[in-house]
Amino acid sequence: MYYRLPQFEYLRPNDLHQALETIREGDWKPLAGGTDLLLDMKNGRQSPKKIIDISRLSELRYVRTNDSRVLIGGGSRLQELLENVIVKEKLPLLSSAIYEMASWQIRNIATIAGNLCNASPAADSAPPLLVHGARVKLISSSGSRTVPLSEFFLGPRKTVLSNNELMGEIDVPLLEGYYYRYYKIGRRHAFTLSVVSMAIAVKIENGIFSDVRIAMGSVAPKPVRALNVEKELIGKEAKTVEITKAIDLVSEDISPISDVRASAEYRMKVTKFLLKESLQESLKYFWK
Amino acid sequence: MSSFDLERLMNKWLNAEEFYVVGKRIERADTLDKALGKAKFIEDYYTNDMLFIKQVTSRYPHARIASIDESEAKKVRGFVANFTARNIPGENQVGYSLPDQPLLAERKVRYVGEPVSLVVARDFEAAIEAANQIKISYEPLPHILDPLEAKSRVDVLIHEEAGSNIAFRTKARKGDVEKGFSESHVVIENVYRTSQQDHVYLETEAAIAIPGLEGKLTILSPSQHPHLTQRIVSRVLGLPASSIRVVVPYLGGGFGGKDDEGPLISAKAALVAYLTGRPAFIEYSREESFAIHPKREATVIRYKSGADTDGRLKAIEVEIVHDTGAYANRGPFILWRATMHASGPYFVPNAKVDGYCIYTNKVYQGSFRGFGNPSVQFAAESQMDLLAEKLGMDPLDIRLKNILTPGSTTITGQVLDTSVGVKEALESVASKAGWRDKWKTYSTYNGRFRKGIGIGVAWHGISTSRGVPDWSAGTVKIEPDGSVSVLVGIVEIGQGSPTSSHRQIVAEVLGAPLDMVHVYFGTTDAPDTGATHASRGTGVGAIGVYVASIELRERLNSFAAKLLNTEPEDVVIHDGIVSSRRDPSKSIGWKEFIKKAYNSGVNTTASGYFFLPKGKFDDEAGQGFAYISYSYMVVISEVEVDTETGIIKVLRVYPAISAGKIINPIQVEGQIEGGFVQGMGLALMEELKFNEKGEIMNRDLTDYVIPTSLDAPEIEKPIFIEDRFKYGPLGAKGVGEMALIPAPASIANAVSHAIGKRVTELALTPEKVLKLLEKG
Repeated sequence: MYYRLPQFEYLRPNDLHQALETIREGDWKPLAGGTDLLLDMKNGRQSPKKIIDISRLSELRYVRTNDSRVLIGGGSRLQELLENVIVKEKLPLLSSAIYEMASWQIRNIATIAGNLCNASPAADSAPPLLVHGARVKLISSSGSRTVPLSEFFLGPRKTVLSNNELMGEIDVPLLEGYYYRYYKIGRRHAFTLSVVSMAIAVKIENGIFSDVRIAMGSVAPKPVRALNVEKELIGKEAKTVEITKAIDLVSEDISPISDVRASAEYRMKVTKFLLKESLQESLKYFWK
Repeated sequence: MSSFDLERLMNKWLNAEEFYVVGKRIERADTLDKALGKAKFIEDYYTNDMLFIKQVTSRYPHARIASIDESEAKKVRGFVANFTARNIPGENQVGYSLPDQPLLAERKVRYVGEPVSLVVARDFEAAIEAANQIKISYEPLPHILDPLEAKSRVDVLIHEEAGSNIAFRTKARKGDVEKGFSESHVVIENVYRTSQQDHVYLETEAAIAIPGLEGKLTILSPSQHPHLTQRIVSRVLGLPASSIRVVVPYLGGGFGGKDDEGPLISAKAALVAYLTGRPAFIEYSREESFAIHPKREATVIRYKSGADTDGRLKAIEVEIVHDTGAYANRGPFILWRATMHASGPYFVPNAKVDGYCIYTNKVYQGSFRGFGNPSVQFAAESQMDLLAEKLGMDPLDIRLKNILTPGSTTITGQVLDTSVGVKEALESVASKAGWRDKWKTYSTYNGRFRKGIGIGVAWHGISTSRGVPDWSAGTVKIEPDGSVSVLVGIVEIGQGSPTSSHRQIVAEVLGAPLDMVHVYFGTTDAPDTGATHASRGTGVGAIGVYVASIELRERLNSFAAKLLNTEPEDVVIHDGIVSSRRDPSKSIGWKEFIKKAYNSGVNTTASGYFFLPKGKFDDEAGQGFAYISYSYMVVISEVEVDTETGIIKVLRVYPAISAGKIINPIQVEGQIEGGFVQGMGLALMEELKFNEKGEIMNRDLTDYVIPTSLDAPEIEKPIFIEDRFKYGPLGAKGVGEMALIPAPASIANAVSHAIGKRVTELALTPEKVLKLLEKG
């Protein structure tokens, strides 16, 4: 009753093929869950003239797995993923992140591709997927291309997705024998945007950091990997002294800003602490 | 009934010991409809033949209005009219305490979000489109956002006619503070700051006005006081109040916000209905609600207190600055309340308290649960902890040493009567919480996660202050079928007083079965019962129906005595059974009894009225009668602080309340839980942030965060100290605001205890916690 949606052309294709044929030409905006898009349209941040409703395309709703990867259909609802056994068992970081996202009502309509394509710096599903080195499959009527998620985001609300493409699938390589930790720091304990989010996966073999993967949200223009910290640690002895040295490098990986939610200083301080805590805990985890 | 008889009968009921519905966990009458979604709120009465109203608001914090151009808006299909201050037929003056506020801005705007015109259209899309096409040109004026700056500047005046930016001043004086401080062993001085808070009611403001309904302009209004709304609409339209009818359906929360905005939004809808002759509907979006309606005031409080070596308070000197924003609204009353409560519920022999209500170019301040009291209790209670610390005392002991008891004198020189249960409340809840052990044990915690425990004690005067008239009124009718119709002006705003406590009081006094009692509430068709604010919905609001029931009961007793062949004093009417105490074999059922009464000339309707006796306050001397009685609240909060992230968890809360007779424990528990959590929001996360242009930066629920159920602590069952108040219905005082008032104080004290640093500024965000920890 309060807000006026601007006028737009609306089309709901029957299947994926029709959807891709439609968006081949013209400036179509895909509507999936609509939990970001409709709000943007109501407050005037976005005013697409043509909307293609892909929310009912069942071809895009699935979770499949084999020994090495999990394939997630882009149209999968967040709540479906939260309740999915494969996701719970094989992708605990993603499962934890979704658990802390939004509310039950919103998770039931919001899609994972929508969360990624909206490209908010605070997109909570991104850090776990970045840690896994996930790749996204962008499909169009003329075929598909696969892009590492780390290259998918260009900046706030900007991605490499073309007008004639949809995010069809997220391909998540599995990690074996890792220590995992997910953090979400918000302004209250539920149903809130992240001030800092972090996903981390660590592997220690023979007392050496054989792999370290760290990704963060809300601390840069887009969700990012802390590559400098990772590089500093990989191959080093799994010891506190190395961790202490490495975490200061995070200031080269992230560029937090001050806004109404928190100051840059607070975000940096908390990031460093979360890094310290999770890396220390990884030592204990492998020492057992 | 003579006043002597009334007082004698009220005393009889005040001392009643046995109850069959009062004090019981009774389900309220509106539970099922609300649970099933059948209950209707204002928006549910919208029909598409109504005109839709959209407000055009100021984009400047301070500017002259040069011109308003509606030529483009007129081209929008469905556009009906654009009404500005010029179209107001009556007075464009809605200032509540001072005549400083227009309904629609005239000549100048004083805050971003101030309503300038009302665009009217046939549907809401056209209204929004047309509102976007209204071109207002402004001549910007210099603006001031900081209250301390505004207080000292006279070159920029927000209200030229006031001659300064100080809207109002208050004072309280007692004894000689210089002498008091010279006799003090320890003196503590600090500055405390609190932030604006939005009410965030579930239901934003909405109103419907229908012209010519049975000859009256009828308003479905989100008001906390139907008769006040009627008066304000009458003034704005220049019509007699008798031609305006106000009906308040179920409301989705108010917390004081609708006490201020309810009459104004009603006047907007009524203005459009009156000028167009058609039904009109207005509803604020959440963003509009944030931008337009009054907030809890931001405060700066300088507080100095002194105590002797035993911990006895010797003096306080307090300066309270309230940022009232663009208009005074109820600010002077809010400041007055803060001033008179500045000591906390303690005996202080020497006091000097000064209050300043300051205009700034921000959204204005207004009523909010606690009404000026939470911030000053936060300051006072922080000071108590600091004095205890310097004296090496347990914070509980210093409080018990100074706590008010029956016969104590307040800082305005008022001697308190018998209804002062705060000492017992504090002692019993401290024991229940295991205060002494926890306070000692938590002090030794030293790791990343620290625990703390904190006390907040508060008092809150009931009814209006000083000699400001306050009364209660209500009508009770026993119908021929034995059902009971109660007519009262109190509104149902979620708190449940008309749907629970009023029914219980009437049923108890009449002896009628509870399910036969129906309350018709929230309308100018009822007697003016006063506002549903100031925790008065039951404590004051139900006195009228209580007195009416007492009078009816006397008539029923006399009639029953004849039927049962006994004396009126011997008659028992209990849950619909009328019998003789001496001879219980004689009895008659309620329905039959009422049928006989109708056929025997018994008057079965009574109107009750009670005028609360007040005293005088001398503004010059800062001395005198402040409030007729006080409710008291103690909360003890336990917190855990993560010293690495600054995140605070409130773990457990122990409440105790001295609010006289508890009519319905479930309702009181609900008020305590809700009030505490809203106070926790003020303490930890809620704050409006303004940019340099005076715009609210966080005017939506993404960035204005309030606690969720997952943030709420375990709130223990409250301890009730039933210190009955002689004029309250069966001795009830007020509850609604109580748990909010000491909540910030108890949380701030607990956090200070946990981290060993003194909290002086709210909201206590994780960021502020880390800054405190960094301090040496």
